[in-house]
Amino acid sequence: MELNPCLKHKVLRKSVREFAEGVLGPIAAEIDHQARFPWEVVEAMRPLQYFGIQAPPELGGAGLDTISYAIVIEELSRVSAGVGLCVSVHNSVALYPLLRFGSPEQIQRLAPDLIAGRRIGAFCLTEANAGSDASGVETMAVRQGGDYVVSGTKIFVTNGGVCGLALMFVVTDPGAKQAAASVLMVEKERPGFLVGEIEELAGMRCNPVSSIFLEDCRVPAANLLGRPGFGLKIGLTALDTGRLGIAAQALGIAQAALEAGLRYAKERQQFGRAIASFQTIQNYLADMATEVEAGRLLLYRACALKDSGQAFGTQAAMAKLFCSRVAREVTNLAVQIHGGCGYSKEYEVERLYRDAKVTEIYEGTSEIQRLVIARGLLAQPAVGRAV
Amino acid sequence: MNIVVCLKQVPMVSELPWDSKTGRLKRGQAEGMMNPACKHALEAGLRLKQAQGGRLTVLSMGPPEAQEVLYEALALGADQAVLLCDPRLAGADTLATSYTLARAIQAVTPDFDLALLGCHTTDSETGQVGPQLAEELDLPAAFNVEHLQLAGRTLTVRRVSDGFLETLELDLPALLTITTQEFTPRETPLGGLERAFAQGAVRMLDALAIGADLELVGEKGSAGRMLRVYSPAAQKKGVLLTGAVKKSVQELLERYGDRLGGLIGQDLASEEEGHG
Repeated sequence: MELNPCLKHKVLRKSVREFAEGVLGPIAAEIDHQARFPWEVVEAMRPLQYFGIQAPPELGGAGLDTISYAIVIEELSRVSAGVGLCVSVHNSVALYPLLRFGSPEQIQRLAPDLIAGRRIGAFCLTEANAGSDASGVETMAVRQGGDYVVSGTKIFVTNGGVCGLALMFVVTDPGAKQAAASVLMVEKERPGFLVGEIEELAGMRCNPVSSIFLEDCRVPAANLLGRPGFGLKIGLTALDTGRLGIAAQALGIAQAALEAGLRYAKERQQFGRAIASFQTIQNYLADMATEVEAGRLLLYRACALKDSGQAFGTQAAMAKLFCSRVAREVTNLAVQIHGGCGYSKEYEVERLYRDAKVTEIYEGTSEIQRLVIARGLLAQPAVGRAV
Repeated sequence: MNIVVCLKQVPMVSELPWDSKTGRLKRGQAEGMMNPACKHALEAGLRLKQAQGGRLTVLSMGPPEAQEVLYEALALGADQAVLLCDPRLAGADTLATSYTLARAIQAVTPDFDLALLGCHTTDSETGQVGPQLAEELDLPAAFNVEHLQLAGRTLTVRRVSDGFLETLELDLPALLTITTQEFTPRETPLGGLERAFAQGAVRMLDALAIGADLELVGEKGSAGRMLRVYSPAAQKKGVLLTGAVKKSVQELLERYGDRLGGLIGQDLASEEEGHG
């Protein structure tokens, strides 16, 4: 098992970092304050294949492996977690399920626009009465001839305000319970597809998270992803991959907080010397760095399992659970190191602190991650496998 | 059109640690990056290749880590990459470097039409390698080029010289060094990196493979010796004068009057001249 990053991953990280610091860096604070989605960055990312990171080159994608995918999300999120979120969700829970479960016709018709970034993808599972419990979906899709007529409300849709194509979890057969969830791919221009108010959230503020209302929205049956009733399987598969992205995002936030903490601790003078010379601060920094490093190994290991075609769901859940906790704790310590300044919007760590929390909530709460991990553990013999 | 671009990997940080005994940079402690002017030179080469067709070779001399900038160049559109990597090449001054690069270019792509370099590097700032390489290869050359145009085998270039803009014509084959003024480098496409590494394409060559005389490369072949390196910033020391303003001004004049006097005197002279 190779534990050092290979040259490709190193060069990739540098390239993405240079792009993120150059294009996103100067506006990261402003787009958070103004809660503005940076279309100019989307424009810059399109030709560089950020919207088709792992998509096959013959469809216009970059064709990178999963570790590379994690590095891209990590580096974008290190500078702006809200933009990292947009790219992660688009690639992992919108484009990936289409490429994995779509028919050749659907892929030819819908994937190129996603890969080129002409349409941004969204994943619409959460409803007022469904979230962690995916079987609670109430959005109805009634078959009428060659179409489904869809009615319902989705909430907390990441990329909601800017999406061009939404993967919509619907119930086609209200009689059968869980098995009946299906996924419809809905283009935003379809009549009856309405975007609600942008949510006022604590963090990730440049990402226009919104509700999406479907009012008798007609969607051709040709837009059904996979078989009817196959939705839960698609959702869980997408979320396994999505969790790698969120773990990478959390890691990027934590890395930024670690760097900010280090910088400030060396600069800030108290009692006639830099606060980095105090053991308490050194302990904070040592813990922060150790946690980030451990999270990174856990995440890359899950990615490597996926790349080698092995089961990775449990490890993805572990990576998401761990990295999101690391993000919360490391940003908390970074604020603590900054003292009063860390609580001010003039300093980056205030934003990192707000951005970090939600990584423990979305794409499966930490509680759900533990459930997934425990389920994986209990399904195996008590004697651990040789790894 | 056969273009060769020489690239250098330089340390990313502006404040560099160096070995106070040898006077050399501790390159291992800093992340490497493509020297900014080299990036502009590569961009100029890529644009020419796009317009004219042909082949673009990138060439660098350095430790194995310098492969990074060559892969970056391949991702951006270079066709082949060569790294001159040999401990015997270490410690080269600009003379030995340009000798080595000349041998490499003749060995790898002898039928080149145009050699492009950055006008200077951020780690040593000499700006000498371009001119010396032109001498080694016996080529017409222009330095600090901002703009170029090709018609047939004739290059028209605009360059900066002592604050003037000059327009020159050169016949190919030729050598140019490019400034960071124009040719804004493109960003790296993610798929380009995947392709670059899938090709597995950086060729590693040592001094013998390029037919270099071992007496003329590396530290041995260097005419210049670094005697001492020091940071001018380290000599700066802020002095804070405290107390009442009047007293502080008096103290300022007493302590630094000789240095300030020159400045004040110059200003007065120019004032008088202006009114005279």
